[in-house]
Amino acid sequence: MFAQIVIGGFATGCIYAVVGLGFTLVYRTLRMVNFAQGHVFMFGAFLGLVIAERVPMPAPLLLLVVGAVAFVVGMVLERVVFRRLYHNHEVFVVGSIGLGIVLMNSVRVFFPEPVPFPKVFGSNVVEFGTARVQQASLWVVGCTIALVVLLHVMFTFTRTGRALRAVAADGEIAGAVGVNVNRAIGFTFGLSFAVAAIAGVLIGPLYFVSFDMGDMVGLKAFAAAVFGGINSIPGTILGGIVIGVLENVAGGYISSAYKDLVAFVILLAMLVWRPTGLLGRETPIKV
Amino acid sequence: MLLALPALAPQYVLHIANFVLIYTLPVIGLGFLTGFTGRVSLAQGALFGTGAYTTALLTTNFGWAPIATLVPSVLVTVAIAVALGGSAVRLAGLYFVMATIGIQQIVWIVLMNWIDLTNGPQGVRSIPPVSLGGYALETTQQFYFLALGFAVVSYVLAKRIIASRLGLYLRALSDDQLAATSVAVEVGRAKVTALALSAAWAGAGGFLYAHYVRYIHPDMFGLEPSVLFLVMSMFGGYRSIEGMILATAVLESATEYLRPFGEFRMIVYGLILLLGMMYFPKGILVLIQRKRSARANTEGAA
Repeated sequence: MFAQIVIGGFATGCIYAVVGLGFTLVYRTLRMVNFAQGHVFMFGAFLGLVIAERVPMPAPLLLLVVGAVAFVVGMVLERVVFRRLYHNHEVFVVGSIGLGIVLMNSVRVFFPEPVPFPKVFGSNVVEFGTARVQQASLWVVGCTIALVVLLHVMFTFTRTGRALRAVAADGEIAGAVGVNVNRAIGFTFGLSFAVAAIAGVLIGPLYFVSFDMGDMVGLKAFAAAVFGGINSIPGTILGGIVIGVLENVAGGYISSAYKDLVAFVILLAMLVWRPTGLLGRETPIKV
Repeated sequence: MLLALPALAPQYVLHIANFVLIYTLPVIGLGFLTGFTGRVSLAQGALFGTGAYTTALLTTNFGWAPIATLVPSVLVTVAIAVALGGSAVRLAGLYFVMATIGIQQIVWIVLMNWIDLTNGPQGVRSIPPVSLGGYALETTQQFYFLALGFAVVSYVLAKRIIASRLGLYLRALSDDQLAATSVAVEVGRAKVTALALSAAWAGAGGFLYAHYVRYIHPDMFGLEPSVLFLVMSMFGGYRSIEGMILATAVLESATEYLRPFGEFRMIVYGLILLLGMMYFPKGILVLIQRKRSARANTEGAA
């Protein structure tokens, strides 16, 4: 029973972590929070659904295609929308919420009811001792690990990755030494869209997909990012997994009604106690 | 002119006018926090809901007279705001926004799940109308005068507070916190006061709202109204209460003129938020001011 709850929470936590990564990537670079993130996750799930229904393809390819499309969408939206919102953080918050409303309600026009997602990851159940785990959950965990490794390799070893880190550290200096700052920011948005959309495809087969699925997941992923440290990638991963597991344990042993409360109580407590999060390092303005 | 509106305007215009007047309260409240301490809150919808739920539960479950619940509604809202946000208000900028999202979600989840107290997803039905001296303010027209009274009082009161010493402290605080400290402004206390004031206005607004719509549900007080209130206070331009009221009127009646869009209504609404922020980040009053200053410039040149 306990093992099952923890494993289930771990898989959900991976989703929070991956969606939360989108928040972290944008925050590190711009000190802005993109509240459309949860709806990008939803959009990714529906994109996967539409593609998988028309063109049957193996799961890894589907993830890749959805990620690539979302990457392009993110770059384009950065160019035409987000770029005009860098005025200050309130403007960005409200603007991105507006974008989220547009995304959510556009999908709603086509899919007003929750729809089942094709079982692209198989529907087998795997047993670990007493715990029974769906194969799709294992895909979630596996793909999260793969994504994190890929991101780490990109940020550490590639020229683009180093450019992104330079811009995150100090945009002006990065520009002065020849980094194309605008392209790096566009790339950051592309990445944050891609990871969220991939998370949407990963969660799809486990539940039904619906136009409002991004609301709660987006906010919880945000809580996870803040908890772990919104400017730290390892922090966000840790935060997502911890919140996912704690939430499932609280739901299983304390009260299923207040399961959703866990993430937000943690968010509030963490901000008061240590605004930079578990692994974050930046010193916030606090008096 | 505002007093004659019920005699002239059709019923539905009056209905919208009532909502505009009700929403003026939480929006002005937000103005204390946003415009005068530089802190943006996304929890105003939850505080508005706290006020609404307090009066709804006191009148339906405990048989209180509606008007007697005004003070408890305000007090409970202030208490919850200070309890949850009192320590978060020290946080600046985006960190405070993040904290208020937590507060918003916590209040909403509790309203939804504490079924013994709040009725949960069933909502609270048949909330009585406000009655003054045995005279129930039931119809849209009658309620209009009550709402107008509340809006005018809260406007005047807000103006007085802003002009007072406290208002001065708050403005000093938002301009430069360090400088404010050095001239002996008690920064911590001033911020909590601003939070309490903004909650008090939200609570009074919630009180009105509950007795107008007469049925409340947790979803009415989710993140959506919080965003709406914030946008209303931002579109108005910071620090201008008149601007906020104007923006409230424009955005609230949007629900009416967006009706022809049918199922695309919410898409258009989202676009208004997005495009408004993209092209008028400093509020719509800026447009009028810009025109005025442009005219002044040309006159100066001539």
